[in-house]
Amino acid sequence: MTSATTVRPAGGTAPRRAGGPVHRLKRHFRRYWQLWVMVAPAVAFVAVFAYVPMYGLQLAFREFDFAAGITGGDWVGLKYFQQFFDSPQFWNLLRNTVVISVSTLVAGFVAPIGLALMVNQVFGRRRKKFLQTATYLPHFISIVVIVGMLQVFLSPTSGLITRVVGLFGVDDANFLGSAGAFVPVYVLSEVWQHAGWNSIIYLAALSSVDPQLYEAAKIDGAGRFSIIRHIDVPALVPTMIVLLILNMGNVLNTGFEKIFLMQNPLNLGVSEVIATYVYKIGILSNQFSYATAIGLFNTLINFAFLVVANQIAKRVSNTSLW
Amino acid sequence: MLPKPNRRSGPAAVASLAAAALLLSACGGGGDDDNALHILVVKHPLTGPMADMAWTAEIEKAAGIPIEWEEVSADWDQKKSTMLAAGDIPDLVIGANAITDADMVTFTGLFEDLGDDMDSLPNVQAMFDALPETELMATRPDGEVFSVPSYRRFWPETATRQYVNQQWLDNLGLAQPTTWDELHDVLLAFKTEDANGNGDPDDEIPIDWSPAGEGGFGYFQPSVFLGSLGLPITNGGGSGYFVEDGTVGNFLTDPRYKEVVSFLHDLYADGLVSPEVMTQDYSTYQSVGRGDGDTAKVGFSWGWTASDRFGPQIADQYAPIAPLAADASVAATDLAWTYDSYSLNYGVNTVTMSAQSSKKDAALKVIDAFYDQDLSIQALWGDFGTNIEEGGNGVYTVLPPADATLDSSSWKWTTTLADNSPGWIRDDIEVALPADIQEAVEDEEPIAGALANIDPATDIWPGELIKMNAEDSSRLSLLHTDILGPAMQRWATWITEGGVESEWDAYTAELEGLGLTEAVEIHQKYYDEYLAAQG
Amino acid sequence: MQRLSVKRGPFAALRRDTPGDLVFKALLALCSVLVLLVALYPIYFVVIASVSDPTMVSTGRVWLVPRDLSWFGYEQILADERIWNGYRNTLLYAVAGTALNLLVTMPAAFTLSRREFRPRRVLMFFFAFTMFFSGGLIPMYLLLRDLNLLDNWLVFVLPSAVNVFNLIIARSFFEHSLPEELHEAASIDGANYFQFFAKIALPLSMPILSVIGLYYLVQHWNDFFTGLVFVRDYSLQPLQIVLRDILISNQAFSGGAGGAGGAGAGSYAQQYADQIKYGVIVVSTLPVIVLYPFLQRYFEKGVMIGAVKG
Repeated sequence: MTSATTVRPAGGTAPRRAGGPVHRLKRHFRRYWQLWVMVAPAVAFVAVFAYVPMYGLQLAFREFDFAAGITGGDWVGLKYFQQFFDSPQFWNLLRNTVVISVSTLVAGFVAPIGLALMVNQVFGRRRKKFLQTATYLPHFISIVVIVGMLQVFLSPTSGLITRVVGLFGVDDANFLGSAGAFVPVYVLSEVWQHAGWNSIIYLAALSSVDPQLYEAAKIDGAGRFSIIRHIDVPALVPTMIVLLILNMGNVLNTGFEKIFLMQNPLNLGVSEVIATYVYKIGILSNQFSYATAIGLFNTLINFAFLVVANQIAKRVSNTSLW
Repeated sequence: MLPKPNRRSGPAAVASLAAAALLLSACGGGGDDDNALHILVVKHPLTGPMADMAWTAEIEKAAGIPIEWEEVSADWDQKKSTMLAAGDIPDLVIGANAITDADMVTFTGLFEDLGDDMDSLPNVQAMFDALPETELMATRPDGEVFSVPSYRRFWPETATRQYVNQQWLDNLGLAQPTTWDELHDVLLAFKTEDANGNGDPDDEIPIDWSPAGEGGFGYFQPSVFLGSLGLPITNGGGSGYFVEDGTVGNFLTDPRYKEVVSFLHDLYADGLVSPEVMTQDYSTYQSVGRGDGDTAKVGFSWGWTASDRFGPQIADQYAPIAPLAADASVAATDLAWTYDSYSLNYGVNTVTMSAQSSKKDAALKVIDAFYDQDLSIQALWGDFGTNIEEGGNGVYTVLPPADATLDSSSWKWTTTLADNSPGWIRDDIEVALPADIQEAVEDEEPIAGALANIDPATDIWPGELIKMNAEDSSRLSLLHTDILGPAMQRWATWITEGGVESEWDAYTAELEGLGLTEAVEIHQKYYDEYLAAQG
Repeated sequence: MQRLSVKRGPFAALRRDTPGDLVFKALLALCSVLVLLVALYPIYFVVIASVSDPTMVSTGRVWLVPRDLSWFGYEQILADERIWNGYRNTLLYAVAGTALNLLVTMPAAFTLSRREFRPRRVLMFFFAFTMFFSGGLIPMYLLLRDLNLLDNWLVFVLPSAVNVFNLIIARSFFEHSLPEELHEAASIDGANYFQFFAKIALPLSMPILSVIGLYYLVQHWNDFFTGLVFVRDYSLQPLQIVLRDILISNQAFSGGAGGAGGAGAGSYAQQYADQIKYGVIVVSTLPVIVLYPFLQRYFEKGVMIGAVKG
């Protein structure tokens, strides 16, 4: 098993409180300069390519004025945030966005774990490999084609799935044309497409479980389900927690392109989300400031969720992102 | 397969590699200080390389310096917004509405005001003089000319033609419908009987139309039934604006729209409309229309031409028919249709010039060359010799495709810029048209009466001729996004599930609340100015 | 070599199946078959659709076998000479990009996993913050222009050098799978951090290295946006852009046939749009799919960890 998770540095290696700040800094670098060297390239890349362009965020608080440059427009404060909150669509957008993203997050979180546990049980290297490879294949299909395939499979007149549910007595099912079916269709197709791919990370974690643990459990007479529960699942917990925290930072994120392509007038009431609205109102008519403001609002909510999730995880399981 | 960092100096290697890479990139890449004229051209995806078009040599000759074509055939919108916002554009941008009115108001100072350069643009000036509406299309509210439109002259007045499967009518011994009730009966017969005679009475789709998205109405949609009640629309309906007796209105809250929706629901409730009409995409709509071999699937529909809509194999089963009257009380002289001539015969904003261009003279010469008589027709239909036969004295013959597997329209799009090109087809030249335009003009025959009832000067919303200022255009795009969502949603649910009668009042109140009145008032303001300017 | 037995599965040592085991096995087999079917059938559909007559496909008559065999889609795709250049470019970007990604990410993840390294929490926040906040496209475009990275192949490699998600995954792996005793033992042997990382941590991290390598590789392979926004020189465009162009030029035009954008265009084109669409999927994903099983063998090295611990 992995050693017990402790976030705090081991007491023995903590620097002593001797000397002033400069002295402490010197000691720190003398001791850890190699670690700094290893992290430095990543810090440099992120600083240049992520932090430098961040000045663009002020566009959310300024009027976009091309002639005056990105940062030269008039300061308008929270005008564009206000405009978004006052929009007649606001609550509807928020509700749709949360419903779609949360159901995707929940289903998309559970499915890969189940799949990984299952694949891990399969006997034989070849069979295991084949099953794994087969399940991650859908990940590579482009969104345009996924939506095209949904249209073919769910067609009310000729679709395979429509015909199959027809056998079970559901007649004239129109999965694409009903508002009620939009979220399930979206979520299930997401799970189908990505569960295999996302299970790769769990399979990697399972592959590092000590085989002797299984032997020991077997000698203790543990059943298969109990072995899964007591050995496999605990091995996945650290990865699960990290992914769960990261997922929490996505509560207001939805796949733009797929929803956009799946939209039709019949499902618009549940399928209009923040991302598609921004596209229609901001991108198509050059409303850069408005689009940036909505994007920033989105980000702030997501980030708040991440921070809260991270705090909770730190308390409960002693795991945290930072 | 995977790189293994050097054991001793792995991290150091990483650091030096990153540094080297940055250094390398700083040295790589070149400036734009060459002496070529850079022209970005937004092409149709089918269109081949510019280098294959012989007429571009003429353009280059006019420029006097080499031309570098930057060719874009996909995702222009995404590419564009970043490019413009960064102020990084080539000397010229060419393509129908490649730079939009919204771009011109947002990116002030980025585009050259050609109004000052008219002396260097004699062909363009001549077009403005001959066709004043083209000058109207080019001029911003404040008088600047940031772009020049094109004029194609030979296109029909509407994109939407109405077709019924004549063979099915004959099989069942029915006459062409002329009213909504007759249409209803014909469609019922298509549905219940084996109209296409393949032994399966259930595989006929009595009526189908092009999917209307959330952004409003377009070509090949039953919004043309508004004409059955005497309401003329443009471009298939768009966001719903129309003009009646000098007053701008929006049909989304007009009682006649309610009648159309109610009629369509009657059809849908009887199972006469394709169940996929609200969810299919345009490709599916088109391929279903093509039927199965010689067996047609669709009884009644709308399209550009019969062969474009139904495919060459079964096109001759279909007959173009006249607009229907809502009922016998609507006289033929009241019938209307969708009037699309401004968008079909003109291309707005086909060429734009960078204000920062260092090769202004060459760029202006290129613009003017595009409006030359011979170059205009070659850019539209292709090179002299291979695509066009030049008879002299302003007589031209557009030749059939050299590649026999292509239809004449695909041939045009493959070999030249076609409708994306700037250009001016003179009114006094004679052109033997290609087959696709001929067919479109012929199939328009039954609609001619209804189109003649529409006076473009007073009966339609002339969107293409009206330029709005920055504030109004951004206000409108906001209002339209909010209004059209619920409106199109209601259009779809009312037709498929009904409810238009009971929900109508609440619906009109909702659209008012979303700012429909304000949007109509903005349109009215500009329409009044337009009328005043017309004198 | 004895450890090979382990590869036959965790229960290879079980000699006799109890009734419970049999139920379990049956259930497992059933689920596996079901999952396989659900995952594979749509893929199979893409393959048969790519060689069937497009009208047959769109009207729902292709289910089990290709109908009216037609290679038009592939002919169209492979006849396009741009595609080979696209393949070459993508291969270069993916290999160079992934190499840089791993060189930057793995050492950084190692540093961030060291609990005695106090600044790691600030650094983690520094990284995580960028998963959420970004300045948007315009400042990015201006920055890349100033660095001379526009129309430069390095734009496919440098800006994406660190993916914070992958960094976090790798860090978490180091945290939970590298026993602290290993570091203590190494320290006693006089190993410094460089040596510990290169000689012990990295060899024990093959499963995660291969997963992250794959994630990065696929990210580069599918990168479409960089070419779209930051590159105008067509000779630099990656496979995805080329395929997209081929796809689009064979698409039906939803703007309607009559508009200025495409009056009557493509009676010919739209007929084959879908077939080309399916063909493009096969052509563009085949290499990654073929590659993965080779990467997968690194997973099995994971069992070493148990050996070291034991």
